[in-house]
Amino acid sequence: MTRGEHLRNLVLLGACAVALTILPHALTVYRRSFVLFTMMYVVLALSWNIISGFTGYTSFGHVAFYGIGAYACAILVADYRWHWIPTLGVGAVLAALIAVVIGYPVLRLKGPYFAIAMLGAAEGTRVVATVWDSLTHGGLGISLPSAETSLETYYAMVTLMLVTIVVAYGVGHSRFGIRLNAIREDEVAAEALGINATLYKLAAFTLSAVFPAVAGGIQAYKVLYIDPPAVFFVQITIAMALMSMLGGKGTVIGPIVGAVILYTAQELTWVNFPTAHLIAYGLFIVLVARFMPRGLVGLAIDRGWVRKGMIH
Amino acid sequence: MDGCSFVVPRGKISGLIGPNGSGKTTTFNLLTGLLEPDGGQVIYNGENLAGLKPYQIFRKGVTRTFQVTRIFREMTVLENMLSVTGLGVPERVARQRAEELIAFVNLGHLRSEYGGRLSYGQQKLLEFVRALMTDPDLILLDEPAAGVNRTLLQHLLDHMHRLQEQGKTIVIVEHDMNVIMNHCERIFVMDYGVKIAEGPPAEIQRDERVVEAYFGRRR
Ligand SMILES: Nc1ncnc2c1ncn2[C@@H]1O[C@H](COP(=O)(O)OP(=O)(O)OP(=O)(O)O)[C@@H](O)[C@H]1O
Ligand SMILES: [Mg+2]
Repeated sequence: MTRGEHLRNLVLLGACAVALTILPHALTVYRRSFVLFTMMYVVLALSWNIISGFTGYTSFGHVAFYGIGAYACAILVADYRWHWIPTLGVGAVLAALIAVVIGYPVLRLKGPYFAIAMLGAAEGTRVVATVWDSLTHGGLGISLPSAETSLETYYAMVTLMLVTIVVAYGVGHSRFGIRLNAIREDEVAAEALGINATLYKLAAFTLSAVFPAVAGGIQAYKVLYIDPPAVFFVQITIAMALMSMLGGKGTVIGPIVGAVILYTAQELTWVNFPTAHLIAYGLFIVLVARFMPRGLVGLAIDRGWVRKGMIH
Repeated sequence: MDGCSFVVPRGKISGLIGPNGSGKTTTFNLLTGLLEPDGGQVIYNGENLAGLKPYQIFRKGVTRTFQVTRIFREMTVLENMLSVTGLGVPERVARQRAEELIAFVNLGHLRSEYGGRLSYGQQKLLEFVRALMTDPDLILLDEPAAGVNRTLLQHLLDHMHRLQEQGKTIVIVEHDMNVIMNHCERIFVMDYGVKIAEGPPAEIQRDERVVEAYFGRRR
């Protein structure tokens, strides 16, 4: 990509930032939450995409990091009377450490074995959160003291989303990202060509764990009550995957577009047909996998609207 | 492989031949760390490489191509090239080298095409130049000529000689005897995982065991 194109994208992002800063004043509280959660899913999908799209290790357990971030915030705010902002940093660091500990053994597995192991890791985390009463209040969940004006969490989410986009963009247009792609395409060849796959995978995995943890923390402070089933909800992982797939995994813009479209669609169907929404979800997975395996961006590439590859 | 030992002359082009399944590719896999030897040593620049990880061996200056191409299929030709250079090399330098090399094998116009969309011969060529991105000292080529047309093959061979003149060591596995006999200074012959002969081309052509291994009397 040329310097001009990077500059154009930066200007676009800047314009989004300005718009999102002004926007909440023109919105009802309900619409404001809607925008906040849309941004949250952009963060989740983009993060998932770093390990699963760029690097090819499909994770079915990413909700674990989101839940860890949510619990870090809730525990520190409710029981230790911290201000909520620094708890986001604690969640991020904790998620990174746990990502290294889980990732080191689990990233040796490939394909479905990795996916299932991650599913197990997330379930394991949920069980720990449920049984470790003294720390997490177990199945009762945690209520946070209300001090929130919905603007605080809104702006925190805007900031997090912008940071995540910048990082994902940086990864996606660098030789670091290209090397993650090489691991995805053929790990043996990548190793034979000088790439320390173990290290790169661990770096990608850790990076992909940090942002969901911060998102989890913000959402805990937003909704003011969390319990294990809510923040270790498998469907959140599925949403990350599906949003990335719809937009185009392995790209930077894909997960953003996918998250916006799918979260909006989900909200509309959920409001209007509460039961149909799950069926629609299932159907949607099948259709995307069958007819658009490379997502909307893949479609645009085939039509020649977008160039191939991440580095030009 | 068992009891198989040979010394590749530095700064020369050598050939490694043998019937299908004789262990040529396996030898390359042992040299590059894709397989770990149960015993024995791989000495390179006075250092034992056995037991090192593939990326560590690569960083010592040993590179290779694969018999069945291992192009990164959903990455562009340019990305295939850039994925190989160390992050220590400035991107501008890496790009320039990549562009030169892909132009050299007539792939310049395909720089933004996916690797998986190239023809088999083109993939062979891409693999060849991808292996040269880091300026390696020992280059192992597993059947570089298969599927490559005559003109380009000549081009490749010329380039191999140029690399050799720069002091690189090259080992070629190849079934095309013209390539082996006309371009290699030393030839190693394998059969059933052992070295059965070694010598300059003229000698190998006359060697009884080689003829037997290839044309078979009681296999
Ligand atoms: N790790 C291993 N352990 C035991 N046997 C192996 C191993 N790897 C390969 N082999 C066997 O060793 C034999 C030699 O395979 P290799 O690929 O080295 O042959 P080759 O000389 O390259 O043949 P070709 O000319 O067909 O490419 C094959 O029969 C293969 O099944
Ligand atoms: Mg072979």
